[in-house]
Amino acid sequence: MLNFDYEGKEFPPFKFLVERCKIKELCMAIGDNNPLFFDKDYAISQGYKDTPAPMTFPTVMNFWGNQDLWSTMQLIGLDTTRLLHAKEDYQYLDVIYPGDELVGTFSVDSMKDVGGMEMVTFKSVFTREGKEVLIAKMTVVVVNQE
Amino acid sequence: MSLPNYDELAAGYEMPSLTKEPIEQVQLVRYAGASGDFNPIHTVPEKAKAAGLDGTIAHGMLVMGMLGQAISSWAGIKNIKAYNVTFKAMTKPGDVLTAKGTFKKKYEKEGEKLADFKVWIEDQNGEVKVDGKTTIKF
Repeated sequence: MLNFDYEGKEFPPFKFLVERCKIKELCMAIGDNNPLFFDKDYAISQGYKDTPAPMTFPTVMNFWGNQDLWSTMQLIGLDTTRLLHAKEDYQYLDVIYPGDELVGTFSVDSMKDVGGMEMVTFKSVFTREGKEVLIAKMTVVVVNQE
Repeated sequence: MSLPNYDELAAGYEMPSLTKEPIEQVQLVRYAGASGDFNPIHTVPEKAKAAGLDGTIAHGMLVMGMLGQAISSWAGIKNIKAYNVTFKAMTKPGDVLTAKGTFKKKYEKEGEKLADFKVWIEDQNGEVKVDGKTTIKF
């Protein structure tokens, strides 16, 4: 059962250091061999200051940066054994690079329970030196059995 | 691969498609470690069955990542303003995914030339696994 008291609630911020190896590791797991993510000289030749973080790197920032992610989901009343990922949404405000020290703030954006289907959207805002670089939204659902 | 000329961008334009190697179980183990998402329905067959599935399923984020690979191979990273998807169907080991995209619309906002593309990824049977939208600055 969802606890609607958590709607709009913001959790304490967490820090995340962007490591070069985590960028490579994610690309290798995806099977993305674009030299943009592996070769600094190539990235510079393409107008970047270093190998940028790939498009779905925010998932690494959330899962490795926010170690309380699963316990937070349980805290607000989600049954994490029956969780389905419904939507993911990224707004890229600036390119993220190896060595960036980011601060993430995780909050409960919205909560719904419609006909036994619980739907929760979480929002993560990442800043670098106080300036927003990325906004991520993740929507999960739990379908309750009657 | 690179972006087309903004002025020539029109209905019917297609992003270069990308067909991936078949999803392998070990890839899901690797993705779990890379992403930090250790939900066992992706890596441990017994846990997947206990959750009511036939077997392990791929992380939705891995599939979104493969679609992202197709987008960034074509458009780079620094020009991408937004990327959002809806997860439509489960992906299983053995599935062969193909990422595709088509032009939706172009517009100017705050002095920037932008274009939206519909993007999706489907399996060997044409079943759409993930679909969504990306916004690119030209």
